[in-house]
Amino acid sequence: MGSFDEVQGPDGVRPHYRLLMDRLEEIGNEDLAMRSRLLDSFFRTLGITFALSGNEAGLERTWPMDLVPRIIPAEEWAHIEEGLVQRVTVLNRFLDDLYTGSQSAIKDGIVPQWLIDSADGYVRDAHGIPVPGGWRCVVSGIDIVRDGDGVYRVLEDNLRVPSGVSYVLENRVAMTRVLPVGFASHRIRPVDHYGASLLRSLRAIAPPMVTDPTVVVLTPGVANSAYFEHAFLARQMGVELVEGRDLLVDDRYVYMRTTRGLKRVHVIYRRVGDEFLDPVAFRQDSLLGVPGLVGAARGGTVTVANAIGNGVADDKGIYPFVPDLVRYYLGEEPILPNVTTYLPWEPDQLEHIISRIDQLVVKPVSESGGYGIVIGTSADDATLAETAESLRANPRGYIAQEVVQLSTHPTLVDGRLQPRHIDLRPFVLSGDGIEVVPGGLTRVALTEGSLIVNSSQGGGSKDTWVLENGKRDAGPTR
Amino acid sequence: MLARHAEDLFWLGRYIERAEDTARMLDVTYHNLLESPAVDETTAWRELLEVLYLDATYEGPLHGRAVSAYLVTDRSNPGSVISAVERARDNARGLRDRLSTELWEAINVFYLEVARADFAGNVQDRAYEVFANIKSRCQLINGVAAQTMPRDEGYRFLMLGWLLERAEMTCRLLAVRYARMAASEGQMGFHAWVSVLKSVSAYEAYLKAHDAALNPTHVLEFLLLDKEFPRSVLYCLQQVERVLGMLAGSGEQSPLMRAIGKVRARAEYVDVAAIVGKGLEDFLEGLQREIYEVSDELEDRFFRAGTDLALHSYRWA
Repeated sequence: MGSFDEVQGPDGVRPHYRLLMDRLEEIGNEDLAMRSRLLDSFFRTLGITFALSGNEAGLERTWPMDLVPRIIPAEEWAHIEEGLVQRVTVLNRFLDDLYTGSQSAIKDGIVPQWLIDSADGYVRDAHGIPVPGGWRCVVSGIDIVRDGDGVYRVLEDNLRVPSGVSYVLENRVAMTRVLPVGFASHRIRPVDHYGASLLRSLRAIAPPMVTDPTVVVLTPGVANSAYFEHAFLARQMGVELVEGRDLLVDDRYVYMRTTRGLKRVHVIYRRVGDEFLDPVAFRQDSLLGVPGLVGAARGGTVTVANAIGNGVADDKGIYPFVPDLVRYYLGEEPILPNVTTYLPWEPDQLEHIISRIDQLVVKPVSESGGYGIVIGTSADDATLAETAESLRANPRGYIAQEVVQLSTHPTLVDGRLQPRHIDLRPFVLSGDGIEVVPGGLTRVALTEGSLIVNSSQGGGSKDTWVLENGKRDAGPTR
Repeated sequence: MLARHAEDLFWLGRYIERAEDTARMLDVTYHNLLESPAVDETTAWRELLEVLYLDATYEGPLHGRAVSAYLVTDRSNPGSVISAVERARDNARGLRDRLSTELWEAINVFYLEVARADFAGNVQDRAYEVFANIKSRCQLINGVAAQTMPRDEGYRFLMLGWLLERAEMTCRLLAVRYARMAASEGQMGFHAWVSVLKSVSAYEAYLKAHDAALNPTHVLEFLLLDKEFPRSVLYCLQQVERVLGMLAGSGEQSPLMRAIGKVRARAEYVDVAAIVGKGLEDFLEGLQREIYEVSDELEDRFFRAGTDLALHSYRWA
């Protein structure tokens, strides 16, 4: 099956792209390349960079953004939004049921117990830690791809500390500066309220009886590759950006150290992994965490967002069960389908995978960022044989999926527009109902034919325009 | 604000002031050696190291190339310009959401300059140019901060770092140089006083306030007590007291406010003429000690919230 092109349909340029493509043609490739350089210097001056993990601090890269925006028409977006609200509702329910509820999805045989127990992101210590409203996924990043038929499918859920939203906002600002003519002719739904919406969601999950909660963003520090985003979000929300050493727990309450003494903290939007939250509960060797924090969260005096232990629900081994969870909790059919997935721990499926290994994608369940993925159609025989061995040795460690030929989109490469594969990571906020930020982060694989869009592997990004419908829609909530 | 941010701002101010003072004193020492052959080179460099508290740690030869390399580009020396700028930049990165973009850029550009591969070579080949550039980078940072930072708590901690470092440096300079200057006479003495004034950018200001006769008592009075010159010890201490008053709330009775009140009053009411020749060294030593006390009390008052709790903070866990 070939790729679906976002712009070129069977009858030429799709209607919602006509205006933009006309404009780009008027501007011309040379002028576009000039504007692209302008864009790069815009990001450099502002210091909008990311560092590849494991790299020296000096090697910060500018954020690679492509000038050609991705456009999603209103009715398509309405479909995506509805599907995201449905999915995130269920993921919240599943996690809350698992950690503070009756674990009905397990008891009723929807998800096998052993699969939960063997998930890397499953945290036994998280049992009994309450989250007001059960909103365990305050920020979810749901990765969506478009298959050869143009069907939007969920590729993976990111429910721990999904990153990238700062680039959504910065891309938009950059585009208005560099390509204002593109904007003038479109009605695009704004994204700049994200900080306010995030703050509202976080305040909504404050411990009960707290009328004016203090919210902080917890970062591992300047050495972290996403530090720019942590600082950005703190600034957007107007709250303090703290490190572990700025917090302390005394008598089950969490405080931050300020110039005016200790100040109570009620909600922690943490951008550190579970294992670095609290050396008492998790890693005794870690200097990053706040001793006693997990105990305070268990006592309900502070809310940690996203909740501890969320990794169990975005485990790639749990992913295949999400459609069943939708049916189980809501009695509805999933609006956004998964990518067809095979489970190596089921003996017959393992044989199926191995017999078709040169046609499938094999993914390690515990890796993210595109690491460890083997794409059967492009891997050599030695790699395939090695992968088959790994599957037999550790079937729980992998899943296999049909190759999705991600949709393509014109992208400025070497001074001219060329089709490149893209995906989409919309950001979904839970807490004060569920709200989806219009659009999200469109990532693009800059290498011709490549399906790996992760910025850690040389991917770029695009501004993502969701067009306004005739009448403004507040978006569905639940 | 977060105690850590306040502390990082305070030290950011100190690092920049330290870099500027170091470059200025290097510059003055070089010029002084060129202009007055009577000055002993070894003594001049040893004194400079002493003013910067580095005489005990420095083990190299006492000549210009070696000492300036140590003071400017040696990363193993935590007091070198390059160390100060790198630390200032580290602090600034952690303070990104508190600093104006212009201030961050001014600091970052300075850092990129000193981090360049040819920087060390330039210090040797074009020393004056490099020193002048370091000074102007620091002054730019100072000016950009003044022009772009809101006068909030954070700005005040930045100011305190600048002011306390400056007051300490002027005191220290006078204490180290005084012994030699008091003993000097004639032309030699004149040059020594000029170099002291220039070391704190005070020569021109002094000439406007007094005259070129350079009466040693007047110079001391000027650098210690002038109420208008921004690098005099009293001026810095009065500013520190004013800023602390705004931070702590006026009328606060605390060890910190007592410490600053005490040292400011000691400086303000000293009779310089009476202690010149007998007791000046003791006086300067006492002044320095009391300035350190202000720093210590400042840390306790603003940067150490909850330290007493940290040890038993998870006793129930």
